[in-house]
Amino acid sequence: MRRIAIVLVCFLPTIYSLNSLAQEDAPLTSAPITPAFTPVSWERLVNAADEPENWLHYSGTLTSQRYSRLEQVNRDNVSELELKWAYQIPQLDRAETVPLVVDGIMFITEAPSNLVAVDAATGRQYWRYDHELPEDLRICCGRNNRGVAILGETLYMSTLDAHLVAIDARTGNKLWDVEVAPYQSGYSKTAAPLIVKDKVVTGIAGGEFGIRGFIDAYDAQTGERAWRTYTIAGPDDPNVASWSGDSWKTGGGASWITGSYDPEFNLIYWGTGNPGPDWNGDVRLGDNLYSDSALALNADTGEMEWYFQFTPHDVHDWDAIQVPVLGDIEYQGSMRKVIMWANRNAFYYTLDRETGEFLVGKPYATQTWAQGLDENGRPIRVPNTSPTYEGVVVSPTIGGATNWFSPAFNPDSGLFYVNSFDSEQMFFKRDEDYQEGERFTGGGGQSVSPVDNYHSAIRAIDPASGDIQWEFPVQPRTTAGVTTTAGNLVLSGSVDGYFYALDAFTGEELWHISLGAMVHSAPMTFAVNGEQFVTVAAGNVVFTFGLRD
Amino acid sequence: MHWIKQACWKLTLFPGFLCLLLPAAGMAQDTGNLYDTPFDINVGERYFQRQCSRCHGQDATGNDETGAPNLTGRLSNASTDVGIFKVIREGVPGSAMLPVSADTPDATVWQLVSFINSLRTNLSSVELVGSAEAGRALFNGPGNCSDCHMVNGSGGRQGPDLSTVGERRSPEELKTDITDPDLDVLPRWWTLRATKNDGTVLEGLRMSEDTFTLRLMDAEANLYSFAKNQIANYERLQVSTMPSYQQSLTETQLDDLVAYLFSLREEN
Repeated sequence: MRRIAIVLVCFLPTIYSLNSLAQEDAPLTSAPITPAFTPVSWERLVNAADEPENWLHYSGTLTSQRYSRLEQVNRDNVSELELKWAYQIPQLDRAETVPLVVDGIMFITEAPSNLVAVDAATGRQYWRYDHELPEDLRICCGRNNRGVAILGETLYMSTLDAHLVAIDARTGNKLWDVEVAPYQSGYSKTAAPLIVKDKVVTGIAGGEFGIRGFIDAYDAQTGERAWRTYTIAGPDDPNVASWSGDSWKTGGGASWITGSYDPEFNLIYWGTGNPGPDWNGDVRLGDNLYSDSALALNADTGEMEWYFQFTPHDVHDWDAIQVPVLGDIEYQGSMRKVIMWANRNAFYYTLDRETGEFLVGKPYATQTWAQGLDENGRPIRVPNTSPTYEGVVVSPTIGGATNWFSPAFNPDSGLFYVNSFDSEQMFFKRDEDYQEGERFTGGGGQSVSPVDNYHSAIRAIDPASGDIQWEFPVQPRTTAGVTTTAGNLVLSGSVDGYFYALDAFTGEELWHISLGAMVHSAPMTFAVNGEQFVTVAAGNVVFTFGLRD
Repeated sequence: MHWIKQACWKLTLFPGFLCLLLPAAGMAQDTGNLYDTPFDINVGERYFQRQCSRCHGQDATGNDETGAPNLTGRLSNASTDVGIFKVIREGVPGSAMLPVSADTPDATVWQLVSFINSLRTNLSSVELVGSAEAGRALFNGPGNCSDCHMVNGSGGRQGPDLSTVGERRSPEELKTDITDPDLDVLPRWWTLRATKNDGTVLEGLRMSEDTFTLRLMDAEANLYSFAKNQIANYERLQVSTMPSYQQSLTETQLDDLVAYLFSLREEN
């Protein structure tokens, strides 16, 4: 008994210093209990960059730069990273998730539509939420969930049956569950929502199923829809004339990756997907607005303040589904507030984010479909590059020069980083009638050559000129996101299962490790008790690294 | 298997024994695929193009982007018609292969089965002019093929193992493989030439290459693994190490060789 008494006395100061335990007789423990987190206010979300120990958004901050101010892990010591823990997702689907970290708790989404909360320092579970799904989902390309959003003490998640759910962050209890669209009609949801003030902004998937796309905002408390903005012009919009006949009704324009927000302009920026049917443009003559576009929506009403269409009358399935990266850069002598966008169609763009004005446009990967862009950023097409019944070889592939996976911007180096793919594919056209809930793509593609013949690389682009400053070759076809830090690091992964770090300024390789399965998401970084960690999902495992103690 | 329950429930509106007499509608077990006419294969193909080709490729040879397998050869999740039916109807649990929608009629699924079967060469329809026996003698004898190629454990290592090549390549393809080996060299059979930091050059078959490392096998079948940043430089030679036999073999010898190779397949 005496021994226990001595131990009790030793622990008393520790126990009483933890606020949450001051009020009651705490059980003995050999390690400090992780305190429950402070609710994540809108103010914290706007100023997320100021608390780099946390990762409060899918894209790190509302600007989506994926730039962390943490520099404990840096150019000089990154080669000393070691594995701290691994969390194995029970499903074998390759993970596309970027976890959030809030005050020492990590929230990881899993295929198909599940969510788990773990201790960020140890990877051990607090709770899990499993979303029940119907068997006959309408999804085009795998059972994916890319992450959650948090506001207050509530997490918001998209599900494959096109629902939006609100989950209590402390317990995993479901608070509310709304149907965003009927899944049987071809709708699904895969992206992390975006919190804007008191609303949950979220997109929809189904561009291969003849949906009419939209972007929604829901009241974060009640789940009631506040507004819906269609991404495909309808009869109330003069731009419906960019769709022949009734083709706007099945026009596609899905919105399946997370957008960004600028509090100064009160604008939500979001990319839109391919027009439908994907590869047969004969049934939808016209520019097909607003498919393959960047949209700027008023955050309060959802009204479109401007749009910029990257690929008018797209017949190659080149969704403008990329995360809009907001930054302030020097352009032609003065500071400009811009969006940086490496598009799936192989062109890199810099746009003014207040007005949508086209500033820079230049290819960043091989392409054979456009001679260039005119002074408004509109592509000048090369003849005979549209899909035919017999097939025509065009560059880039259907999957594009880049795709949904995150790029990053480092304000220290002034460079924009994106995983790029130089390749080609044979494109086919096919006649197809629309049938609700069935695929409506009007064609497809076929490989011409084994992928080893092509080329992937991380490219560092100067946003003021569109010039590529350097590239780091990686195994083709790599589909990993990028994160960058004040420690002068660029962090990414590869299709052959490597996780690695480059010098953000020069692209020099600093460290790599073989994790054994494809990295198909972006890394993120956070800190707990003053110690920085770096996390990435590879295969179906979430790995967390830190410096040697 | 909810569709069996559904079908039988409807059929029990009639006297019970009719459940046994009515063919196909709910019973996949014994009656086999009744939807195997050329018309059915055509319908199956159109369904495949619309619903399956995004992942499995327009020509069903698979897609490294989505990870969906090649369906034109041996299937890894099914070996019978019923097995293929099940995979399509129920999906492959824990994978990206989802079932077709619940209201897709069984007949449609059977037509898809027929289409998939049509992708594999129907052996009974193939008539080859050559003699497999003569081909085998040539392969192991004056042709010297076994210097580089193994068949059922005998032979060399410098070329692909041909023990089951008859399952992967059609007779036409086999002929071109012999007469024009440079036409379509798979990355596994490229040559890597690595120059080490001390200037010595090591050359061999490209076993594997990735972002940071490469592995090769030299002419003596020694295996090497290099980190790319440990060697001065490397180059890929995307030509075949196999010579062409266009000139050195007669037409008859070619036909015999093709007959032999096409006969090489896994014993059932």
